[in-house]
Amino acid sequence: MILLRLISWPYARKHLPRALLTTAGIVLGVAVFVGMHTANQSVLAAFHETIDRIAGTAQLQVSAGEAGFDEDVLDKVRSVPGVRAAAPVLESTVLVGGTNLLILGVDMLGDRSLRSYDLENADEGIDDPLVFLAQADSIIVTSSFAKQKGLAIDSRIPMRTMAGDQAFTVRGIMKPGGLASAFGGDLALMDIYAAQKVFGRGRKFDRVDLALEDGVPLDQAAAKLRALLGPGFQVEPPSSRSQQFEATSRIYSVASDVTSVFALFIGMFIIYNTFAIAVTQRRSEIGILRALGATRGQIRTLFLVESGLTGLAGTILGIFVGLVLARAMAGYIGGFLGDIYGVAQRAGDISLDPKLAAAAAAMGLMTSLIAVVLPARNAAQVDPVKALQKGKYQSLSEGENRARRIWAAVCWCASLLALAFSRFSVVLYAGFLLSVLAAVLLSPALSLWLARALRPALARIRQVEGALAADGLIQAPRRTSGTVAALMLSLALVISLGGLARASYNSIAEWMRVALNLDLLVTTAENLTNRSFVLPGSLADGLRAIDGVAEVQMVRSVRVLVRGTPVMLIAADDGALRRFSTMQLVEGERPEMLRRALAGSGVIASENFTLLHGGRVGDTIEIPSPSGTLRVTIAGIVRDFSDQQGALFLSRDVFVRRWNDTGISSFGIFLRPGALESEVRQRILDTYGAQQRLFVLTNREVRSYITKLTDQWFGLTYVQIAVAVLVAILGIVNALTVSITDRRRELGVLRAVGGLRWQIRHIIWMEAAAIGIIGLILGLSLGAIQLYYSVEVAQRDVIGVDLSYAYPFPMALALIPVILGAAWLAALGPAERAVRGSLVEALEYE
Amino acid sequence: MNKTMMVFVMAASVAMAQDGRQIMQEVQKRQHSTSLRYEGSIQVAPIGTTNAKHIVTKHWVFERLGDFGNSKAILRFTSPPEVKGVALFIVNHPNTASDQWIWRPNVGREQRVSVQDRSDRFFGTDFSYEDLEERDVDQFDYTLTGEAAGQWRIDAKPRKPSEYTHSFIFIDKTMYVYNRIETYNKKGPVKAIEYRDYKMVQGIWTPGAALIADGIAKSRTVLTYDKVEYNLPFKDDDFTVEALRR
Repeated sequence: MILLRLISWPYARKHLPRALLTTAGIVLGVAVFVGMHTANQSVLAAFHETIDRIAGTAQLQVSAGEAGFDEDVLDKVRSVPGVRAAAPVLESTVLVGGTNLLILGVDMLGDRSLRSYDLENADEGIDDPLVFLAQADSIIVTSSFAKQKGLAIDSRIPMRTMAGDQAFTVRGIMKPGGLASAFGGDLALMDIYAAQKVFGRGRKFDRVDLALEDGVPLDQAAAKLRALLGPGFQVEPPSSRSQQFEATSRIYSVASDVTSVFALFIGMFIIYNTFAIAVTQRRSEIGILRALGATRGQIRTLFLVESGLTGLAGTILGIFVGLVLARAMAGYIGGFLGDIYGVAQRAGDISLDPKLAAAAAAMGLMTSLIAVVLPARNAAQVDPVKALQKGKYQSLSEGENRARRIWAAVCWCASLLALAFSRFSVVLYAGFLLSVLAAVLLSPALSLWLARALRPALARIRQVEGALAADGLIQAPRRTSGTVAALMLSLALVISLGGLARASYNSIAEWMRVALNLDLLVTTAENLTNRSFVLPGSLADGLRAIDGVAEVQMVRSVRVLVRGTPVMLIAADDGALRRFSTMQLVEGERPEMLRRALAGSGVIASENFTLLHGGRVGDTIEIPSPSGTLRVTIAGIVRDFSDQQGALFLSRDVFVRRWNDTGISSFGIFLRPGALESEVRQRILDTYGAQQRLFVLTNREVRSYITKLTDQWFGLTYVQIAVAVLVAILGIVNALTVSITDRRRELGVLRAVGGLRWQIRHIIWMEAAAIGIIGLILGLSLGAIQLYYSVEVAQRDVIGVDLSYAYPFPMALALIPVILGAAWLAALGPAERAVRGSLVEALEYE
Repeated sequence: MNKTMMVFVMAASVAMAQDGRQIMQEVQKRQHSTSLRYEGSIQVAPIGTTNAKHIVTKHWVFERLGDFGNSKAILRFTSPPEVKGVALFIVNHPNTASDQWIWRPNVGREQRVSVQDRSDRFFGTDFSYEDLEERDVDQFDYTLTGEAAGQWRIDAKPRKPSEYTHSFIFIDKTMYVYNRIETYNKKGPVKAIEYRDYKMVQGIWTPGAALIADGIAKSRTVLTYDKVEYNLPFKDDDFTVEALRR
């Protein structure tokens, strides 16, 4: 404690900006970790709460995928001995006044035995279920939604339904709490039979919620129901509904882990760099302490404690920043999941999970402690006699360099060897890490070599200043090696993420060109992922009769559970199947694939389905349907981006037969030659727009919507890129701050012997530029290698699509001015401090 | 003992000799009709309220074809306008629970009322769906548990599944009609129905009103029977699920 108070604290105060910069890496890492995980957890918690609230006292739920099932299933469920109450449910989200409203269609006759609607006016006796049931436009909203939209009893809510524009009448307002708090309070109740009409769902239910009689074991009842209903039905407790949501949001956990680990990793380099320099600067102080009797252990502990405190401060600050970040991220993640998966969720309170806080603290502290192990060891080994010799410690010994180079070579060889066995994920990941490690180990030697290579060029620009700037780097590689490594890793990450995004965009663009070559798309929602509403199949004939329409293709998309995972089942008519069969073929023979798909004996599987869930051409897939398990073979595999979990293209005839469902999600319209897109669109709207909820999108609009979704999907990648660039800039600022402080005396001498202020400035600016250039060269090169691994990892474990390696040259070019500009900006402050400080103090420094 | 007194004593001794089942059989026999039609009005109000705005009044027409335990009935709301046309179709069976369907014209479809939902309140009234069933005398076990103030008290236990564990039925000794029914479940008393204002219609003692007090919902329903007619020539075709739509 005494050493901390007498030695460490004054030093930290004297180098406050550097201390803050050192902490920034930890702050950033912890903030990203806490922020993204907290946001994710909040969205998940909100979803769990919604499931829980909506389920009421239901112990089991019967479902059969997104398409639902016929009404007679309800009677079957009710006939099972031990079932006390069973109530059908239809669940959909609609956009009402800019708010995603979850509409729960329930059977008002029997639903109260499972769910309690605590209505605000119930105690006044004007709660009239007969009026509610008699009027198809009845709706009950929550008090929070009513307040938000200024609604009262008898207020009207306009909605575009499958029966045209309709205004719904508020006939009840639920008190806060219980069911009313589900979905963040944006919930409404409607009679299920009215909801069927609103959503065009025919005589189908989404699920049946049921409660058992006292003493009836849950497992036994579930087994009886499964036996009665067959394999096409899922009979699970309500909590199992969360699994799909968890699976879809898991990708965010992985991404947030990658970003935060990366930020902490870079932060580790920054800390290492700072402490390595601090050890060098404070070697005389350490020598004196050692001479006064301080043990090596005490010196080592001193640095470890200093770093630990830095880590602690960074962690605490990072947690607070993370909570602020979580608030912003929660809305984004909830909205994103709603847009892409149609599982919108509004996060409620943002609160810090103690376990998460502990994990963040452990990460922050461990990072700071690991980072300082080597500098602390070096400090402990300081020889009091040599401690007064300047400059000696700045260069790496030849032996140390050789050892590093040997280790780097070993790592490179191992990573290359790993490539040969990269079909095993563990080996691939190990190879990835080894390549990074090799680059890190080689970075000091490469930095030195590049600094030497840059010297003539810098000297040509400014003979004296350029040479001095390069010499600053060459003579003291230890001072900048950590920063260069950090910069290199940051830029490599930017390149690999950017390359990944570019490869994905290229693949998606190609997919859109083939799969979405229709002229118009008639759908039930502007949001293409909303499958709440269903159009009648009979509309096809009407659309065909519209002037200018050459062909109408029908597609129904529903999510079904295949091999325990929700995947997209795309039931397409013959025309649409032909169109889908032209997508890039990954496996199989196109004519045979199409023949079997049209015959209904096979499905066309998306590449990501087979990569994520396994499967080759000829394999049999079991798809649960309400009429039993549908067994079909994989007729061919195509590259498709319809769904993140994979898609199966099935003949619509089979779907209609097995699901007893003639509904349509979208009609693809192809125009006659010469027909104008805008005119045909208007004709469709004029003919059907008033009769039912219907949107007509042009090809351009469909593509731009998908591009928007892709942008959203890569939104997190851009956050990662921003963090990487920010960390890179932090690294440069840190290196220069350290460098200027470390060379205060040297710069003072320069000024004393006649060096002008602008010359000093130029030296520092050029040194910053040199660090930037070295970082750019190393980072952009390492990025090329990392991109290879990233593409492999993404296609195997994240999106399951074979991506082409595409180095993001535009991004690499854009990084050059960004990093050089950042280096210059980072150099401004230190340069001014170097030229404006007291010359006497500078000469007396150390 | 004069003749009048002797007749009275004989009648009383005959009555005393009757058991609960015989009394109920006599009640059912006296109320027998091949069909029934009445116009009902129903008022639901929270117990203790006097505020008119809290009292909800609705009107319906009830038609029944057949007799106890084996009849079909349609109850159709006629007012207020927002509920007009909503109908309940009941098919009573001698040995099993009745089948019931609801028709909602604005939704355009009928809906079966499940057996599990029969204990629910019938559209906010104090009747349950089960209360609307007409059960045959043979569907209960009866025990005469007492008599006072000109009425018998009979304990009726249902033989088929019911929301009630038992009921106390109070039968008027002179008219052989229901005065009051008190229903109970496992937890205790559920509701009480009082029949009032009896008048003779086509030879059948017919109540003018029924008052239902629900101890659990804390509300009270008054049902009045108007324009009661018996033995009308209804057609069987008018008592089907399809007929509900008409």
